[in-house]
Amino acid sequence: MVAMNRILLIEDDTETAEVIVAELADRGFEVQWTANGVDGLGRARASSHDAMIVDRMLPGMDGLTVIEALRKDQVRTPVLVLSALGAVDDRVRGLRMGGDDYLTKPFALVELVARIEALLRRPSDSRQTVLQVGPLQLDLIERTARRGERELDLLPREFRLLEYMMRRSDQLLTRAMLLEEVWNYKFVPATTNLIDVHMGRLRHKVDGPGEVPLIHNVRGSGFVLRSRR
Amino acid sequence: MHKIQLIRSSTFLWALAVAAAFALFVVALFAFIYWKLDAYLVARSDRMITTQIRFIADLPPSRRLNAIADHLAQDSRGVQYAGLFDAAGNRLAGNIDHLPRQLEPDGAVQGVQLDLLQKPTSHVPVVRAVGRRLDGGDVLVMGRNVDETREIASVVGEALALGLLPAFSLCLLAGAWLSFRAQRRVEEVNQRVQRIVAGELRERLPESGADDPFARLAKIVNGMLDEMEMMINALAGLGNDIAHDLRTPLTRVRLALERGRTHAATLEQLQDVTDKAIAGIDQSLAIVTALLRLTEIENNRRMAGFGDVALDEILREVCDLYEPIAEDKRIRLGAVTERHVQVWGDRDLLFEAVANLVDNAIKFTPSGGRVELRLDAEDDSALVRVSDTGPGISEQEREAVLRRFYRSDKMRNTPGVGLGLSLVAAIVKLHGFRLVIGPAPGGRIEILASIGRAGRPVTRRSRTLLHADAGGVG
Repeated sequence: MVAMNRILLIEDDTETAEVIVAELADRGFEVQWTANGVDGLGRARASSHDAMIVDRMLPGMDGLTVIEALRKDQVRTPVLVLSALGAVDDRVRGLRMGGDDYLTKPFALVELVARIEALLRRPSDSRQTVLQVGPLQLDLIERTARRGERELDLLPREFRLLEYMMRRSDQLLTRAMLLEEVWNYKFVPATTNLIDVHMGRLRHKVDGPGEVPLIHNVRGSGFVLRSRR
Repeated sequence: MHKIQLIRSSTFLWALAVAAAFALFVVALFAFIYWKLDAYLVARSDRMITTQIRFIADLPPSRRLNAIADHLAQDSRGVQYAGLFDAAGNRLAGNIDHLPRQLEPDGAVQGVQLDLLQKPTSHVPVVRAVGRRLDGGDVLVMGRNVDETREIASVVGEALALGLLPAFSLCLLAGAWLSFRAQRRVEEVNQRVQRIVAGELRERLPESGADDPFARLAKIVNGMLDEMEMMINALAGLGNDIAHDLRTPLTRVRLALERGRTHAATLEQLQDVTDKAIAGIDQSLAIVTALLRLTEIENNRRMAGFGDVALDEILREVCDLYEPIAEDKRIRLGAVTERHVQVWGDRDLLFEAVANLVDNAIKFTPSGGRVELRLDAEDDSALVRVSDTGPGISEQEREAVLRRFYRSDKMRNTPGVGLGLSLVAAIVKLHGFRLVIGPAPGGRIEILASIGRAGRPVTRRSRTLLHADAGGVG
């Protein structure tokens, strides 16, 4: 097995923290947990982590202050900010202070895990002009997509969606992530199956009849583009 | 108690100050008149005695004594003085006892004290006098009592004092009356306010037709009360709405869990139940979240996320996002953006507002219909219009749709949190834009935005909702 990813969780609510720690441990992460900001900052400085989960409101030191201090020290560890406030401004500030992603409480555990995995596996090389996932090939310059020999006739938005999924193949992509990243839409829309409809269109084009399906629906949580069976 | 208040009231104190200032002014006026009068009378006396002394001095010596006697005889009021003295200072004629020492013969007219033959009873008169040395060494002195300055001054002073007294009293009276009136009005306002505080929300301050500051203030306060009454009423209904909207999914969760607990035989069945429960809880959370966000946006005066936002891009993106779902419903969705339009705002929020409008439009438009997004711009304003071929919003419902949780009866069974339009209204208000709801049938909602930074939130009084027919927009 590959080396376990080390994650630092700074969260003051014990129950929430326990559930997060258990869930991440189940998924094969090594989690360090601390309940206060000052201690968290010390730990983050002392040893390296692959990712951090930081609650916005913490006793001792505010979550955003922790991140700011770390960024000043040139610690580039990706940070997921958790917040009970959905404040529009708060989100903006969280990301501005150096947070990499932002999740509002209450959240689903799958959402949290999906986002942590996304932070850990930053898309490989953004300068690539041709993406390849299994039989799928996407030419970013020609704007063409093919599956094996078959040319895929995609609309621009379908192309964008497929590109995003191919850059993050084998990762669970939640609806909220897709909305945020592909459509730059920060809030949950009133119509909840919006993304499913888009995905349905794309899947219809990507997974032809008789072909091994590449786009998978993960029940209740999101979608995965699988490169292997 | 009441009287003390009256006297302490600023209106009354002001009146007192005005009265005092008035009195000071009158005293100054009196002093000025006295001074002017004195100067005038002295000058006149001086002229007169100069003429007289010249007249008598020019007479031959033999006629001088008679002339002096005549001159004094003609003066019934006893204000003229004359005296002829020889070189040794002995009196030859006239009513002056002896030559006054301060008087410089052949000098100018000056004020002196004269010792008269008949001593005046009351006081030594103030006298202007002049002396002339005549040929032969005699000295002629002519004088004139200028006491009448004082007499006139005292008359004038009396008159002014008589005038001052009623004026002063009038000032005090006016002050007291104004103060009383103000206090009565304050008392009246206070009573009404107490009633409002006690829960009588429909109570308003008396406005009275007059255009005085009080009436204007009352008008302003009443405007505020209107707004507040509306808000309070909306809030009052809100509690029930939230409870109701939360209870529905929570009841389902409860039932599902209860049944699952007793009946689920396999892990799959239990998972199925749990999924249902989670979905129900998610729905409840969605309501709470939407509500919190709404409150947040409404209360938010900070605008950290503000920047230049391209409206045309937003429209195209929203259209792009909703096209497949519209297509599934066999609704034609299109965006018409002819110009690039930039406004000052929060991109995410504006996107959300437009998306919400489109979401609603698609939801309420029957199959085979059309939803159109349109962006028009002129000079300094932009108009985003979302129109559809659905039923639209009837006039009676226009205010109501912006209320939280409002769902018209015919839409009761449509899924949704029922906060969509309130959210749009809040976002529009935050930007200082206006939301216009067009007449039914056919849905038409417009956001009237101002281009550039000039359109920062203007007056808090400006109502967000404006009826299309009354607003004259579009």
